[in-house]
Amino acid sequence: MPDQSDIAEPQARVDLPDTGTQTRRAESASVFWLVVVGGVLLMLLAWLLPWFVEQTASGVGHSPMDVIVSAPTGVGWIAIWALGIGMVLLIAGVAYDAFAVNSGRVEPFRWSRIRAGIALFCAACTLLVLVLVTSRSELVFGSVSANALTDNAVWMMLAGSLLLAFAYGLRPWVTSHGGLAFTAVAFVIGGLFPLMFNQAPGFVVWGAQSAGIYVLLALGLNVVVGFAGLLDLGYAAFFAIGAYTTASMASANHGLHLPFWVLIFIGAAAAGLFGAILGAPTLRLRGDYLAIVTLGFGEIVPDMAQNNLFGATGGPNGISGVDSPAFPTHGSSLDFGIFGINPRPYYWTILVLIALVVVLLRNVERSRLGRAWIAIREDEVAASATGINTVSTKLLAFSIGASVSGFAGAFFGAMLSSVTPDNFQFAVSVTALTTVVLGGIGNITGVVVGAMLVSFVIFWVLPELQGWMGTLGKNIGVQSLGTIQYSDYKFVVYGLVLISIMLLRPSGLLPSRARKVELETGAESEPLAAVQERA
Amino acid sequence: MPDGEAPAATATRASVRTAASPPLRSRIRLRAASLSGQIFIYFLFASFVGLVVAEVATKGGNQTGAQIMNGLQIGAIYALIAIGYTMVYGIIELINFAHGDVFTFGAMLSVWIGALLGKVGLDVTKLATSNFAGLIAALLIIFPLTMVCTGMLGVVIERVAYRRLRNAPRLAPLITAIGMSFLLEGIMFVAAGSGNYPAQKDDWITGIAFTIGSVRVSWPQLFVIIVAVVMMLLLQGFVRYTRMGKAMRATAQDRDAALLSGININRTISLTFFIGSALAAAGAVVYAIYYDLLQWNLGFRFGIIAFTAAVLGGIGNILGAGLGGFLIGLIYVFGSDLLGGQWGNSIIFAMLILVLTLRPSGLLGMRVPDRA
Repeated sequence: MPDQSDIAEPQARVDLPDTGTQTRRAESASVFWLVVVGGVLLMLLAWLLPWFVEQTASGVGHSPMDVIVSAPTGVGWIAIWALGIGMVLLIAGVAYDAFAVNSGRVEPFRWSRIRAGIALFCAACTLLVLVLVTSRSELVFGSVSANALTDNAVWMMLAGSLLLAFAYGLRPWVTSHGGLAFTAVAFVIGGLFPLMFNQAPGFVVWGAQSAGIYVLLALGLNVVVGFAGLLDLGYAAFFAIGAYTTASMASANHGLHLPFWVLIFIGAAAAGLFGAILGAPTLRLRGDYLAIVTLGFGEIVPDMAQNNLFGATGGPNGISGVDSPAFPTHGSSLDFGIFGINPRPYYWTILVLIALVVVLLRNVERSRLGRAWIAIREDEVAASATGINTVSTKLLAFSIGASVSGFAGAFFGAMLSSVTPDNFQFAVSVTALTTVVLGGIGNITGVVVGAMLVSFVIFWVLPELQGWMGTLGKNIGVQSLGTIQYSDYKFVVYGLVLISIMLLRPSGLLPSRARKVELETGAESEPLAAVQERA
Repeated sequence: MPDGEAPAATATRASVRTAASPPLRSRIRLRAASLSGQIFIYFLFASFVGLVVAEVATKGGNQTGAQIMNGLQIGAIYALIAIGYTMVYGIIELINFAHGDVFTFGAMLSVWIGALLGKVGLDVTKLATSNFAGLIAALLIIFPLTMVCTGMLGVVIERVAYRRLRNAPRLAPLITAIGMSFLLEGIMFVAAGSGNYPAQKDDWITGIAFTIGSVRVSWPQLFVIIVAVVMMLLLQGFVRYTRMGKAMRATAQDRDAALLSGININRTISLTFFIGSALAAAGAVVYAIYYDLLQWNLGFRFGIIAFTAAVLGGIGNILGAGLGGFLIGLIYVFGSDLLGGQWGNSIIFAMLILVLTLRPSGLLGMRVPDRA
């Protein structure tokens, strides 16, 4: 298969009779680079991690190398050296690719046996090391031990090298099937994530509670903001409605104890219903006024919960003691009991929910409804002139977006086992908006990446940074590094991300094709000069 | 600035009809719109009267009088902030989401400026509490300094975050505005902490000015209202009678035509941001003197309430913003008193939703925003 994906392509221009092939290929190429950068970062992080995390008392190694070498056989040394050589080859190959694409003078290394050979060699070494390491790790549902992140450095390194081998060896395929490649990587790495970080339960909790929830919120908000082009600043309200619905039907609050697997759908339906109710009177407003009205709604809902309207919400303390979800086989002969406090089942559950939502939304996006959303977004009058019922189409966008949020809320309530009004402040809506803007308004892959990035930085890096910096400060002799409250800078990060993305790359990290054209050229109010320039 | 048509109950279908045969259809549509708008005004008036009556009936005349003063005094601050919203919206059709935080930033700046002056040997608080002349001197130092600094902040915000997006789709500058709001809040969070941040100006003005019946009007209340009214009159004079004010009005009416007639658009817009932010700063200093305690996220609530005021008065209309501010202040105070303080914000948000959906042109506004 010839590889010509990203050889100095001309910028996609608005007036070209665009078949979409070129831009689609550029998009897939960006997935390739995303995977490569992810792989290299994981490998780098693995080696840097021991600088930031203190050695644990249980005698866990100081670097990935130490841990692997302490594997019970002498094969460890051979495996490590082989893997090291493979990784160096891979990085060199990827660097050559990057050079070739950037300079535009030489072509990237084509599909060949050498290319596949390097990748296979490296993958085999990785798997060998994997087997050596797993011989001393715990079972899937085993108990989790002390928080020893260094141990997980091994996993990060192995995941990184696998990612890189995959992207490098199958480059032509990755660059032509970007979405599929991304999905495959996301679900393999995502699915193995709790096993990778079996020594760091906090990280798995983060994965389920922050990353998973915000991915769902971003997916839902993307329907409203990205597909239909309606800015919703009160998105947390639907999240709250989902959470409160679940909490009141699965706790002692009203004496109801419905099963979780039914409740997530009830929560989603309730949120969707409220989405339609809110949407009905406000949808004739457009743009910024709609945004402000949704903001008002987003503030009223937590206010009502706070003030214990009708005595149903428990006031400022919220509803606590929400039932823990049970495994679907609960009650049969194959009973695993309930989820309890082990984060892993929650994590896998939300992964499945995300997969479900992604599949649904992808199909909706390509359906008649999805095309109607795009038409409305680009020109509402023209859309209604072609026979699209703009009111019901917009209502559906609001409702579908809200129900995804309700899904997330239902899960959130069950996982935390309590909901309080504080969980649904304006900051939640802004976080969701930041994830969508950062990832790429209107692009499903983009918003997933954006949600993971934002939640990683805000809910994992910033809270942990003080500890890491404290250790780093001790290691390099700058004590003051550990005295800064890094999590205080959360809002600064949101602000900077929103401003810089809108100014520098308004279509986000992984742009959607149609949105890119709209956001970068301003389809509605194109300056005369730009039109003349093209003519 | 393209004037849209008023929204009607069947807005989208009506717009199709408008496209088909403009004159008749748009006439029908406008009539429907003005009908729902008219009803809304009566509704607003009736509910306002109802609020006052309910207040008098349940709490008695004295408390009602005191609450009217409270409402006017908080409304004065809302009005000062609302002017910034309305001016910016009038000129570039942007909801300057960061404006509420500019207000808070102004309040903090007044504290920091006071501290800075203390460093060079000028203790403003001591000066203000010494005697009347000293108070006037302190106010004449703090007000202009804070207003100029905050005004410059507004200009910088426009230059950094909004100017490059002037021709972008509507949502782009709105998103940067939200980003700017969070950036300012984040900076204040880091600088002032998560708790209350005392401005230490509460002993500047004290005492009771006069008593009407048994309703006592304090000097701070009177001061707040006088400052707001004076500022609004000055601004109205500026916009109406000066060359720069004329340039601002022209730019708001038609930016391209203003450009053709030789007006420096960028400078005019910067000036608008300067004035809007400076007035918010005036409100902020007044707030600091009256309430003393500042919080990093104060601007979010104040911003929304002031925006509601601006929309209620008719966005783009400076007098409307003033009127809306006082009205919203009264509604907030009465509503909180009748339903309980915890519902105060919900009442305002409900007002916001009602005004925007039923009468987006507000009480005095002529233009009706109807754009994507």
